[in-house]
Amino acid sequence: MNAKGKKRSKWRRLKIWLPVVLVVGGVFAYIGWDRGFRVHPEPDWVMKDEATRFMYASIGAEFEAGIPYWILYVLPRVFPEKFPGPGGFAAFGIPWEQGMELPVGFTQRTIGFPRVSNNCAVCHTATYRTSPDAEPVIVPLGPGHTSNVEAFLKLLVDCAKDPRFNADNLMAYIAMATKLDVIDTLLYRYLIIPITRKTLLERERQFTWVYNDAYPDWGRGRDDAMNLTKYFMIEVDPPDDGTYGPTDFPSIWNLQKYDSPADDPNPQRLNLAGDTWDAYSVVMDSALGLLGGAPHDNDEFVAHVQWITDYAKRTPAPEFPFPVDEALAAAGRPVYDANCAVCHDSDGDLVGRPMPLAEVRTSRDRLDTWAGKYAAQANRVVEEMGLERRGLVEQDSPGYNPPHLDGLWLRAPYLHNGSVPTLRDLLRPPGERPATFYRGYDVYDPVDVGFVVQGPEAERWGTLHDTGRKGNGNYGHEFGTDLPAEQKEALLEYLKTL
Amino acid sequence: MTATDRSLDTAPEDAQRRRRRLLLKIAVAAVVVIGLLLVLYLGCRFLTERPVTYDTMADHFKYGSTRGDLLTGVPVWIWQAMPLVCADILESVTGDRLAPDYRDRVARYSSADDAAERRRALSREGYKALGFLYETDADGRERTLPIGTTQRRSLGLDRTYINCAVCHVSTVRQEPEGPAELVVGMPANLFNLYDFEHFLFECGKSSRFSFLQLAPEMAALGADLDLLDEYVVYPLAIAGLREAINFLEDQAGFSVRQPEWGPGRNDTFTNNKVFLYGYPWRDLVPDYWTTGEVHPENVGTVDFPSIWLQGKRKQRSDGRPMQLHWDGNNDDVEERNLNASLATSALPPVIDHEAIECVELWLEDLEPPAWPFPIDRQLAARGEPIYRQYCADCHGAGGRDFTGRWVGYVTDIDDVGTDRYRLDNYTGTLAANMGMTYAKQPRRQQAHPCPDGTVYRPRQPRGGDGAYGGSPAGGYDEPAGAPATYDSRVAAVEAEEDSYRYTHYRKTNGYANSPLDGLWLRAPYLHNGSVPHLRALLEPSDRRPVTFYRGNDLYDPIDVGFVSTAPRDRDGRGYFLFDTAVPGNGNRGHEGARYGTELPPADKAALIEYLKTF
Repeated sequence: MNAKGKKRSKWRRLKIWLPVVLVVGGVFAYIGWDRGFRVHPEPDWVMKDEATRFMYASIGAEFEAGIPYWILYVLPRVFPEKFPGPGGFAAFGIPWEQGMELPVGFTQRTIGFPRVSNNCAVCHTATYRTSPDAEPVIVPLGPGHTSNVEAFLKLLVDCAKDPRFNADNLMAYIAMATKLDVIDTLLYRYLIIPITRKTLLERERQFTWVYNDAYPDWGRGRDDAMNLTKYFMIEVDPPDDGTYGPTDFPSIWNLQKYDSPADDPNPQRLNLAGDTWDAYSVVMDSALGLLGGAPHDNDEFVAHVQWITDYAKRTPAPEFPFPVDEALAAAGRPVYDANCAVCHDSDGDLVGRPMPLAEVRTSRDRLDTWAGKYAAQANRVVEEMGLERRGLVEQDSPGYNPPHLDGLWLRAPYLHNGSVPTLRDLLRPPGERPATFYRGYDVYDPVDVGFVVQGPEAERWGTLHDTGRKGNGNYGHEFGTDLPAEQKEALLEYLKTL
Repeated sequence: MTATDRSLDTAPEDAQRRRRRLLLKIAVAAVVVIGLLLVLYLGCRFLTERPVTYDTMADHFKYGSTRGDLLTGVPVWIWQAMPLVCADILESVTGDRLAPDYRDRVARYSSADDAAERRRALSREGYKALGFLYETDADGRERTLPIGTTQRRSLGLDRTYINCAVCHVSTVRQEPEGPAELVVGMPANLFNLYDFEHFLFECGKSSRFSFLQLAPEMAALGADLDLLDEYVVYPLAIAGLREAINFLEDQAGFSVRQPEWGPGRNDTFTNNKVFLYGYPWRDLVPDYWTTGEVHPENVGTVDFPSIWLQGKRKQRSDGRPMQLHWDGNNDDVEERNLNASLATSALPPVIDHEAIECVELWLEDLEPPAWPFPIDRQLAARGEPIYRQYCADCHGAGGRDFTGRWVGYVTDIDDVGTDRYRLDNYTGTLAANMGMTYAKQPRRQQAHPCPDGTVYRPRQPRGGDGAYGGSPAGGYDEPAGAPATYDSRVAAVEAEEDSYRYTHYRKTNGYANSPLDGLWLRAPYLHNGSVPHLRALLEPSDRRPVTFYRGNDLYDPIDVGFVSTAPRDRDGRGYFLFDTAVPGNGNRGHEGARYGTELPPADKAALIEYLKTF
């Protein structure tokens, strides 16, 4: 055979095999895309109404931060000892409506395979009961005072570190819950489980400060928000700069109260220390925290952020669910006007604007976790993602914002760090406020105005808040603490109506 | 080599090579054929996977597989050998339910012709001490396996495990010497699930649960094992079974920390806690056996329920289904059945939905047997208006007519006042977690025939207006239902998912008002079986028996319940002493003027006579 003939036969062989290779490759590529990356729409019911959307609709966090559904599903069975108590995901205190597949704020998307992530509701949905036998009432946009987010974050890392987090073990438990087909079985065994493990372990270093025993746990209803931003968004290294300032999850209802007139020379700012210019920016930055990276699709993400902002702006706070003594409340009104309104009244000049710390003298730890220079860096990160927002205030803040007081009753415990359990305690001088208490139990105490924080049930469900530990101080805000008793009583009654 | 052969040696080398090649070909072909046959044989032997099926629904119910036996099926020979190999464990578990000379008899082997059959009878005697019931076949011989056990060929073995009937079939005798009549669908008053589980766990863990110990016993029972069985199949099966039993103990062993249940009782929902979130029962504090106390949430022991006439339970006065389970925590028959099936190891990936659905369909109309003793019709007629006045609103117009304003609703615990352990055992935390069970298991839509020729037709996709719960008003008017907005959300989810996932479990705050069909067979009474008979139930709790015996199938038509005063049966075997002072066993509640305990004696007698007609 001559060279030409050889070439021709090679070519002929190629002509035969190339299509085969292409077809087989194509099939594999299709399967890989279909089972690994194909984006399926969410079910219709997540858009059923606004509350449902807020609590259950995805904001796109499944792409980067999603946990494969079946891995998440078996964690309570494989690693029950790593949960904060018996009860699976309910042990994190996140509200969970009976009959729903997962707790509030847990979202699902099928991106090749079902993945679970979170939306804003995981930290911003309140739950309360009017008595231990009563049904829980779930309030979207309310402060997630029961949610133990730190324990959940740690769980994922701690499970990944456990040698039992391997394909053999997890697959054995998955096989008790569902039957995966051959392709999904192979994917889970050889790709999804190992990759998930690796991804979770990579997070560990970023959580250095969370594992630092010198600091107390966040406890239920709090997170160390600005440090999270520092160590995850702008990747300050090492992820423990000695500051620590966990704060209560805020209520995010009625955000329109922050809309100052366009010509206001000193407009209101959001975040506890006025760290952010407007509601839209806060929502976007918080949502980016859940995403764990740049959005998969900027337009889609912006639409989510815009909707959440609008929903949060126009939805009012819930009313106090117990009877109010109207006459007493009326008597409390002048006390409020005389003592509180100057800082907290929604029409005032001071509300929603940073106030020098020296005037309030509450714990400065949260203030120390943030600075204007970080704001500049964070703004740059977000800008590089191609997202537009007014963003974080690129200057150091002098102190905390006096907050608006709408829905105050459901915003216990009080002060920015949740260090004072009830309004009654807040009207006491710091020395008489409880030094320790349990936060995160959902039975309400209408007398002291706050949640039940002592007793066996509070101890069982709550986490201990020790005001002596870093970030937890309950001092400051000594306003109204020396009012006569009957005026305090009247004021308390009035505050229930806000 | 012969001369001829040698002469062939001179043949051309080609021929020789050809012959060798031919031989090689034949050899290869032979190997291939033998190999194929072997593969075929092994395939048929080990890949055959089919349950034993039955022609009638009654037999399907009693013996049909839920496919749980695929997971935890015990080879039938091992099942039979266990009480013999572990006779000491059986004795320690069952106490005086077992004949005192049982172990001695087990230790003595016979060389008579019927030695194997005698061994098998001895094995069945062991299971009878756990409360298992054996039917006899056409020639009057007892069946190999008791009621409530299945049989399936899988992995080259005949394997067995329990099904629904083990807890929902029992016997009743009208006279001490009379025959024990089998009643399908009644609570299994004789079956001691607690003892059975602990026997299984302890035997499975013991050093005797090994091939070396079990094989001779299987041979004595008549097993004819071939080489493959002896060297591969059974050693592997026993190793696997040990693991399976250990796992089962991890799941269901929690009762070791609870007061003994006694026959006819079970703690359903602690199983769900372990299954769903690894409830750490080994850490339960306090431990009943060391302190005599239990944690208020750690005991949920209740009577097995009767399961007749489920169809009529799908509607109550507001058009919604009745709330099922003792605390009314679910109003969906399908979910209730799926959850009960978990106890037979029928986990979501293996469950035989068709088998369960046929049972569901059959139970819709299955009726309890009528009261077999004479009834004083006049006295009963006097009891009817009393029943209507005191009982009918909550328990239905009659034994087959379940209409009534509050039938199938939950009565608040503060009102009914019965023992609250079972209520507190079912926590809100568990109710939330229940929503993960059967997640992402789409519902099957095919209609299919059942053994008796009926056809099961799946319901329309679920989901409705979302209204749920509700409690009796008038005297106890606190609504137990959750806010309507959230139930409409769950309904929307349910309709769109159309899966088997549980969406109907709710924490309630009381116990459900149950219809009274077959009431006479449902003794002892109250959810925890703490009141032996109807006569005692109509007394205030301080006049109800403080202790009594459970597990007798002899009926007492005077007091309306099973005989509860005899400590032993005719053969001297003891019954279970039920102590109402034990946590979870309280016999208070369901008392006071509205509950009829203050009626004059003559009215009580009339009412009881009337209740016999249910």
